[in-house]
Amino acid sequence: MMVRESLRLSWRAITGHKLRSALTIVGIVIGIAAVITFVTLGASLQAGIIGDISPDDQRSLYGWAADPDVEGGPGAGAQPIFSDSDLAAVADLEEVDAAYGYAPVGTRSIASGDQRLPQGDGVIATGPSYVRESTLADGRQFETGAREAVLNPAAAGQFEENVSVGDELTITLLGGGQTDVEVVGITDSSEGLSPFEGFENSPRVYVPTDPFYAEQVGTEGQDTGDGGLRFAAIVIEAPSADDGAVDDARSAAEAYFESDDSDAGEFLGEDLAVSLETSTELLQQLQDVLEIFQSFIVGIAAISLVVASIGIANIMLVSVTERTREIGIMKAVGAQKRDVLGLFLLEAVVLGLIGAVLGTVLGLVVGYLGAQYIDLPVVYPLEYVVLAVAVGIVVGIGSGLYPAWRAARTDPIEALRYE
Amino acid sequence: MPGTQSAVSLTDVSKTYYRGEPVYALDGVSLEIPRGSYTAIMGPSGTGKSTLMNLVGCLDTPTSGRVSIDGRDAGGLSDRERTRLRGSEIGFVFQTFNLMPRLTALENVRLPQLFQDVPRGERTDRARTLLERVGLADRTEHFPNELSGGQRQRVALARALVNDPAIVLADEPSGNLDTETEAEVLDLFSEFHEAGTTLVVVTHERHVAERADRIVHLLDGAIERIERLDASDSTDGDRDRSSGAAP
Ligand SMILES: Nc1ncnc2c1ncn2[C@@H]1O[C@H](COP(=O)(O)OP(=O)(O)OP(=O)(O)O)[C@@H](O)[C@H]1O
Ligand SMILES: [Mg+2]
Repeated sequence: MMVRESLRLSWRAITGHKLRSALTIVGIVIGIAAVITFVTLGASLQAGIIGDISPDDQRSLYGWAADPDVEGGPGAGAQPIFSDSDLAAVADLEEVDAAYGYAPVGTRSIASGDQRLPQGDGVIATGPSYVRESTLADGRQFETGAREAVLNPAAAGQFEENVSVGDELTITLLGGGQTDVEVVGITDSSEGLSPFEGFENSPRVYVPTDPFYAEQVGTEGQDTGDGGLRFAAIVIEAPSADDGAVDDARSAAEAYFESDDSDAGEFLGEDLAVSLETSTELLQQLQDVLEIFQSFIVGIAAISLVVASIGIANIMLVSVTERTREIGIMKAVGAQKRDVLGLFLLEAVVLGLIGAVLGTVLGLVVGYLGAQYIDLPVVYPLEYVVLAVAVGIVVGIGSGLYPAWRAARTDPIEALRYE
Repeated sequence: MPGTQSAVSLTDVSKTYYRGEPVYALDGVSLEIPRGSYTAIMGPSGTGKSTLMNLVGCLDTPTSGRVSIDGRDAGGLSDRERTRLRGSEIGFVFQTFNLMPRLTALENVRLPQLFQDVPRGERTDRARTLLERVGLADRTEHFPNELSGGQRQRVALARALVNDPAIVLADEPSGNLDTETEAEVLDLFSEFHEAGTTLVVVTHERHVAERADRIVHLLDGAIERIERLDASDSTDGDRDRSSGAAP
């Protein structure tokens, strides 16, 4: 029997009961729309975060030492064990381009000219190459040992008079000490530069660890004679972003930390292990969380689809009973079992498919609006659109099978007598 | 003798309905319907005419006895084969029309073709021609509930003829027709008869029955007598007809 004619007959049957068919479809629409909406949002969220990782960042390994059982984001549970000489030794490794510490500097305020603004966090002591050349809108990287700073636009713009390269700032440390810095660079974005900072927009001032971290530790009296300055967080840069180069840098650094030469090594053991991970690897954790959330939504949607299938099955059963006589007529004029089966299955599949298509469209629209609302680049998960349509067909077949089989089995003479 | 020349052969066929009291709708009916013959069946209401037609049309199975179509025992056929017979070899005009309510007249007529995989172009052509032949050229897009009783009957007739069946079974095909339309329909039957189609027509009206070669009179589920109308066909024929009679 011909597809075109079968489709026509199915369509007639569906449009013959518009309200009933519409209500049946709603279940599928909701299920599919929920999946597509959340998958779109998830994909957009991922794109929004991953889009923030510049290719140059791919060669940086973010390291910290923590109890392996501690769960959390980058740096969670980190202990200050990495010494200056450790960093110098790692930086000297052949597989490593640069190695430096990362430490927030506790401050009270920052002053530009007469204007003093409270500033509790956002001053970060780190290595010069932490602020990558490519992210500089103006000026240059700071130099180690110099009283220089690079500001992001949010930090530069918070003063009445925009701070620019060449200006002087006065930083008041948490301990009360004051230090003047020269602004040598402004970055092009106020988002965080690494997973240590987080990726949100906020004012940030980047300064060299020497002298700033050293001074802070000194003023707070934490130098307890156990080998001098220690960092809880470090950054190790591989010469290139190749997977191989990054992995080599990681293994070389790990090997060093495990060796007797390492100051950090003496603390490492079962309760303290070094993690060295790229931004992408760290984001993977976030993505894992996101995926769990998505599976949860998909699970709910699946339940909704099961309910929808039962709905279709119910409608189809009613429809089979209602059309007993029609089935009898078709069989009387030569419709084989498979023809009748095909017709009713097709009807269920058409219902499922309409639901899936409407659900997909609705899901994409809601996903788009949602992504716009939370300011993310919209990414359409196209493979899910295909999946949704497939699910529509499967739901149709699954729920139409039994009713269609009942219809196909109908005895024509009994059916013709049916009033 | 259920030989090859019989389109339909009934041997001691009985049909009993059990609804509390058994109803003997047909009781030991034996009948040969030769290929290319034109048979009328008459009898009072409730004597089993429709029951007989359902058996011949492979819609129903006898309680006992044997129904052969083209020498093949219908009882021995699979459901699939019986359906194929219904679709391609037999055209059935039901007493109650049995049109598909959600299909137009044209679509109703084309319905049997769908299940026979007739090419699309041919399908529409033949269905249209038949509708024209039964005088419904201007009603092709009407739904059954937009047609009069007689018009519905003619759609049912066109549908029965659309697959060019070897056997046409018509259960009171002219019951709702005026004299003129009835004559047209009967002319159409005669034409098919001349082309070699085997016809079995149930009717209450003598003048309709007289178009046939013979009239089978049913009474209370049994054959009362067979009245031959064709002179060329031996015995008690009382009317001469020149059309292609049964051998
Ligand atoms: N499904 C059924 N169940 C029980 N009895 C039935 C059934 N179908 C037919 N009968 C009975 O069988 C007998 C024959 O019915 P049938 O329909 O063959 O009569 P008919 O000769 O076609 O009558 P009419 O001229 O009124 O159409 C009737 O007495 C009827 O009540
Ligand atoms: Mg009858």
